[in-house]
Amino acid sequence: MAFFEQNIHHPPKTFLSKYIFSYDHKVIGKQFLWYGIFFLLVGGLMALMIRWALAYPGEPFPVIGQFLFPTSNGVIPPDTYAMLFTMHGTIMIFYAITPILIGAFGNFCIPLMIGARDMVFPLLNMLSFHIAAVSGFILLASLFVPLGAAAGGWTSYPTLSTLIGSPGTGQTLWSLAIFVLGVSSTMGAINYITTIITLRAPGMGYFDMPLTVWGLGLTAVLNAIFLPVLGAGVLLLIFDRVFGTTFFLAGAAATTGTGDPVLFQHVFWIFGHPEVYILILPAWGVVSDLLSFFARKPAFGAKATALSMTTITILSTLVYGHHMFTTQMSPLLTQTFMTLTMTISIPSAIFFANWLGTIWKGSIRFTSPMLFSMGVVFVFGLGGLTGLYLGTVTTDLYLHDTYFVVGHFHYTMAASVLLGSFAAVYFWMPKMFGTMMCEFWAKVHFWITMLGLNGVFMGMLFMGYAGMHRRLYNPFVYDFLNKLVPINEFTTISAIVMGFAQIIFVVNFVHAVFFKKEKASDNPWEVGTLEWTIPSPAPNYNFKEIPVVKCGPHELGNPALTNGRDFQYQTEELARG
Amino acid sequence: MFSVWAASEVAKKEMGFWEMISAPIDISENGHLIDWLFNYTTAMNIFFFALVCIGLFGFSYLYSAKRNPKPYYTYGYKKNHVLITTIIGVAVFVAIDMNITRMSNNDYIGIFTNWPSEDEDIVRVEVLAQQWAWNFRYAGRDGQFNTEDDVVTLNDLRLPVGKKVVFQILSKDVIHSLYFPNGRRKTDAIPGRITRMWMQFNETGTYDIACAEMCGTYHYRMQAKLTTYSEDDYQRWLEESQYIAESTIDTENPDLFWGWEWK
Repeated sequence: MAFFEQNIHHPPKTFLSKYIFSYDHKVIGKQFLWYGIFFLLVGGLMALMIRWALAYPGEPFPVIGQFLFPTSNGVIPPDTYAMLFTMHGTIMIFYAITPILIGAFGNFCIPLMIGARDMVFPLLNMLSFHIAAVSGFILLASLFVPLGAAAGGWTSYPTLSTLIGSPGTGQTLWSLAIFVLGVSSTMGAINYITTIITLRAPGMGYFDMPLTVWGLGLTAVLNAIFLPVLGAGVLLLIFDRVFGTTFFLAGAAATTGTGDPVLFQHVFWIFGHPEVYILILPAWGVVSDLLSFFARKPAFGAKATALSMTTITILSTLVYGHHMFTTQMSPLLTQTFMTLTMTISIPSAIFFANWLGTIWKGSIRFTSPMLFSMGVVFVFGLGGLTGLYLGTVTTDLYLHDTYFVVGHFHYTMAASVLLGSFAAVYFWMPKMFGTMMCEFWAKVHFWITMLGLNGVFMGMLFMGYAGMHRRLYNPFVYDFLNKLVPINEFTTISAIVMGFAQIIFVVNFVHAVFFKKEKASDNPWEVGTLEWTIPSPAPNYNFKEIPVVKCGPHELGNPALTNGRDFQYQTEELARG
Repeated sequence: MFSVWAASEVAKKEMGFWEMISAPIDISENGHLIDWLFNYTTAMNIFFFALVCIGLFGFSYLYSAKRNPKPYYTYGYKKNHVLITTIIGVAVFVAIDMNITRMSNNDYIGIFTNWPSEDEDIVRVEVLAQQWAWNFRYAGRDGQFNTEDDVVTLNDLRLPVGKKVVFQILSKDVIHSLYFPNGRRKTDAIPGRITRMWMQFNETGTYDIACAEMCGTYHYRMQAKLTTYSEDDYQRWLEESQYIAESTIDTENPDLFWGWEWK
């Protein structure tokens, strides 16, 4: 319900005001998309280097190794290896996934799907991107300072991340970059929440919003609450590094100080566990919608799905302790955190059942967004279930800090979120850029990616169970890990396959954005949410008339429909037989 | 599925696939509890993931647009729809979560944090982690830590089988994690606070000890060896080391006295 008039201004004329300093949520969304794709490529390349070092220790990285590591003849040195996995984690989480799903699709979809002309605070929105750009610049700059970039893992636990473990400027710049990015994301989150509350089109109740908007909204709530916590944590870390405070330094033999390194872990994971859901909630929302759209029937138990996502959002704030079982928590705490963690599987099982219920007795069209959505169901099933081992205290004592953890969170955060992002890109492409991507190559991209990522992450689960711990430059110095050479090679080959599959995507995407002549129709996927009632690509200020919503977002396959379509727009009165 | 098959193809060259991906051999008294819980969770997970796959692939086959042009128009709020969804939610919780929570909790409270009492015949070891090595300290003849007759080793832990061993763990610089792959457990070594772990080994031999927490560039080299002896062999080794320790100790060097009073 709009509380105020949404004015239409003239479209900007100059290049700068149109593409750089734009207030338009669609342009800002595209800026975030390019930003995210750029960092996805950087982070992906780092992943390949990490995998190369693990499978072929001591061999030069092919082709570009000689240029990147000239002093070691192309071989990745151990300190660079530590920087690579630190930056890979940081970049993928904060600079690739967050900008693509939350930055790009949050900005692009929320106003369009709720029938608004723009975000409620366009200036804040623009600043949010420019601050993110500053943060990205600081992070990339940290790669070139003396002693190199941050190398303490993306979790950057003190005291390794204080001057004791990392004396270089890289770690300080890393902390600064994360702090600045936190400011940017908080701005975005406030904007999303306010927009969803105040700018929904007349007639649109919360349950008439597409589930994508639910997912993005819940993510924004988590972002607004918990990013400041991370900001506070890294700020204290900067204080420890620059101003000589001792928040995280403790008085063991070699160190001085009266702080506590475990304090940082608490602060980090209070943020860090919700962060996992910050990343996955938008993907869940998108998948819930797309499954319904392409099964041509209403989302099964949509309210239950929305409420399950809300429940998970709340629970996610209460379980962070399961990341710290090996710090010797009191049994009282392990018990509490374990039980709370396990309750998450109830809402998860409910929306899994709803996803399967949505495609049950549907009339499924296997388009590329649908394939990617079903891929999410598959990989998130694996990712979610492997989480059970890690939420259980005793199995976690064995699996903690092994590749099992790495496999698990890559399934949930990398695989699911990546596939969800691809689904979103393929789906909203016509509304964003006015052209369709090539379906054939999209499907090829899907199948190769799916094969590659399952090879990589399944391999990680197996080698983790076999005891291989994380962040090893060369695991084979250990006798008990020597048997894992073949599976490491297999995983690396899978990673290379997956990496090269992304070239298909990039070519397809760039071709569709810049070179494709053939324009997409206004509603190529034949769905009824508000963004498909307007021309493709979405025009300046989206809606000439603010739409009035009369039915839910998933009105497909209604037998009472008589107008020759199998779906109806949200602006139409619900057809009754 | 494909990856399992392909990985097995790769692995066939040297050893069986299952042999390769199985956990290292368990030499501890209580490691089997963790293995058992792992296997139980795996069995349950396979069952529920199979259900997801049956739904996903089965429905894809049965209800493709070609085969089923007319979708069934429902919001999923009918009584039996809600019932089935609820049953699935509850079944997952009861079959997996409640069970593993209960069992894991019993193990953790009943065994892993059920510390041996003072009067039991136990081996006490102080562990000091540093970048990038493990220091181990045995109390020596007087039973007191940080005295001149302590046996101190570097990256070399020797223990008797069939006896409870209690570790007190501390770090000198950054956070490390004392990881016994063959004991199925790890405990963080944290500067400024002592953490504890107890374990009992049942097989003699030489095994790996690793650092599981990222601790800097040479994290991967922070390796120690665990040698487990029979009771007699252990006593013989201890006496010998005791003798060497006493005859070579430099009492003027404060660096040698990094231990602490047993707490």
